[in-house]
Amino acid sequence: MTTAATDTSLAELIKARCPGAVTGAAEFRGETTLTTTPENLHRLLSTLKTDPDLGFNYLADIAGADYPGRSKRFEVNYQVSSIPANRSVRVKVSVGEDEPLPTATNVWKTANWHEREIFDLFGVRFSGHPDLRRILCPDFWTGHPLRKDFPLDGEEVAFTHNQDSIKPQEAIWKKGLGKAEYALEQGAADVGEETTMVINMGPQHPSTHGVLRLVLQVDGETVLRTIPHIGYLHTGIEKTAENLTWQQAVVVTDRMDYLSPPTNNLAYALAVEKLMGIEVPERAQDIRVLIAELTRLASHLIALGTHAMEIGAMSVFFYCWRDRELILDIMDFLSGVRMMTSFINIGGVRADLPDGFHKKVQDFLDVFPASVDEYDGLLTNNRIWEKRTLGISVITPEEALDYGLSGPNIRGSGIKWDLRKDRPYLTYPKYSFDVPVGKTGDVYDRYLVRLEEMRQSREICVQALKQISPRGEFRTADRKISPPPKEELERNMEALIHHFLLYTRGFQPPEGEVYSAIESARGELGIYLVSDGSNKPYRMHVRAPSFVSLQILPALCEGGLVADVIAAIGSLDPVMGEVDR
Amino acid sequence: MNVTLDQLVGHGIILTSVEDVLQWGRKSAIWPMIFGLACCAIEMMGMVAPRFDVARFGAEVFRGTPRQSDLIIIAGRLSVKMAPVLRRLYEQMPEPKWVLAMGACASCGGVFNNYAIVQGADKVVPVDIYVPGCPPSPDAVIFGLMELQKKIQAQRPLSQPVA
Ligand code: SF4
Repeated sequence: MTTAATDTSLAELIKARCPGAVTGAAEFRGETTLTTTPENLHRLLSTLKTDPDLGFNYLADIAGADYPGRSKRFEVNYQVSSIPANRSVRVKVSVGEDEPLPTATNVWKTANWHEREIFDLFGVRFSGHPDLRRILCPDFWTGHPLRKDFPLDGEEVAFTHNQDSIKPQEAIWKKGLGKAEYALEQGAADVGEETTMVINMGPQHPSTHGVLRLVLQVDGETVLRTIPHIGYLHTGIEKTAENLTWQQAVVVTDRMDYLSPPTNNLAYALAVEKLMGIEVPERAQDIRVLIAELTRLASHLIALGTHAMEIGAMSVFFYCWRDRELILDIMDFLSGVRMMTSFINIGGVRADLPDGFHKKVQDFLDVFPASVDEYDGLLTNNRIWEKRTLGISVITPEEALDYGLSGPNIRGSGIKWDLRKDRPYLTYPKYSFDVPVGKTGDVYDRYLVRLEEMRQSREICVQALKQISPRGEFRTADRKISPPPKEELERNMEALIHHFLLYTRGFQPPEGEVYSAIESARGELGIYLVSDGSNKPYRMHVRAPSFVSLQILPALCEGGLVADVIAAIGSLDPVMGEVDR
Repeated sequence: MNVTLDQLVGHGIILTSVEDVLQWGRKSAIWPMIFGLACCAIEMMGMVAPRFDVARFGAEVFRGTPRQSDLIIIAGRLSVKMAPVLRRLYEQMPEPKWVLAMGACASCGGVFNNYAIVQGADKVVPVDIYVPGCPPSPDAVIFGLMELQKKIQAQRPLSQPVA
């Protein structure tokens, strides 16, 4: 491990360790971007990981982007971090349409699905990839939807004047009827002997946390092989966001991780604010912390409730839901909506707190500790729960890093990595809280981590609530982002112009790219943004923590029993909306 | 013994038609399928949970298989990849069966007017009730369910069988 180095010297160090591989280095908003060529890419990535002075042991994300005007139209960005030294760089490589990139799967296992995603959505090939297939789009799909020349598609909205001339959406789904979609995974049969059987689990299954589909090859009750299929909820959120203005795109982020919508808003808003270099008033930041932590509670409650229900403890589900309703009531009170609040948006939060907000939150915080104790009592020393979770689906710390896990999943394996502490954002440094970690990395440990996180989140909420005054600033005063208040509109011509521009065209961040990540309930929720200086994001990519963590599932299930597959899925706590986006 | 109809009615006997009883039975014990697609599914689970408790309306027996269900609540956005699966599930359900499109996405594509989402589940399966909202609150879905019950009660499977 090196001593803390400034980022420019980091770039120099990397150049020295991997001579000739880095063709350019840039700094923007405190992020270092190194450019390389396809020939040198693999050497550079391996050096980053294996060189003892660099030690970039964590691949957070790979994001593609398409620039049709360039001679090499695609750009692939590797977001690499070093967890012990807590620093990161972005490695950027440009590649032409027919040019393959070397795979990074032999450097970090987590690269697998990221590369498949880029292959699926952009059509970039990765040579040496073990299993380069489509991942989000169906097999019968043609084209690569995130290319800029691929239309957004959909259907025209009907009004009286055009209702007769509307072209119906092409029924692409018909192509899938009775097709290979249902054929069991090719090649699954040639692994085992004749005694093995192939079971299809999902996408409609009560215990797969949504539309996850697993193809299991089993020998009796023992799972030999698991092949996850995702994409059944692929929503085109990234493409849709690229067709909305910056502020409008907040709304689609709600719908990704639907167990904690405000956290998605927060991740996106912080990324745009970083891009624009905006400071948000401290009170607004405190409100954001409070909302984010309440959301984490709501999300962990569902994670716990559904996980317990799937293992057979039905009553826990009912208890958890009882408490979650209290949080939803707070959200409803705050914004008028139970789930998709879009309350946190670019520049702060949407409105000031309503009267009586403090009391409502305080009432909840008062009753909540008893509820957590109740879950604790129901499960922690429960013999059945222990039998189903202790020693099941163990993730070692090395595996956790290799697969790029984050959030409770990586902490369950004993790695103390929490972005709220390690890469602080908002006003988190003001608050005191612990980061619980597990010891063995089994299902039970991940359960314990979540349970303790609920207690810690409540502590943060209590502290934040004390900080927040009932009235005050809740948005940046920058008129380029926040609409002027009504009184100003009546008196001030300039305010009127700002208002008009904001609502007709939106604002235009400077050209540049940023990657900004927060600690959501499921881990590192990162947003990679590219601005071309216009009023819409040129590229919006989401590093979804569940997408990454789900990759480890086959390794967890292998050799276990079919029933343990359910325990493993629940303990990873994936949300398919976020996995498939 | 000569008893008139009027006398019978006076003694706690009701007159009705076979069809009415049949439909009354059907509407009072709807078994929905566990079919959660996206965000709306979370509110659908909220509907089952204690606060809203859909059991009060006789529809709490969620089944894991289409072969035991008579209602499919399409809770969420339907992607192009999922559409053939929905179609197959619908076909696997025994008659009589009903479909409730929950939320903006299942009804018309919602905020996602794009390449990946089918613009309304009714393109793939026939929908009986549309519940607006994004997501509709659990009480809205219960309202939708009650509307569906009215619809079921009004159906005449014996005298006017649907073609
Ligand atoms: S209607 Fe709204 S809440 Fe429901 S699935 Fe669509 S986006 Fe999600």
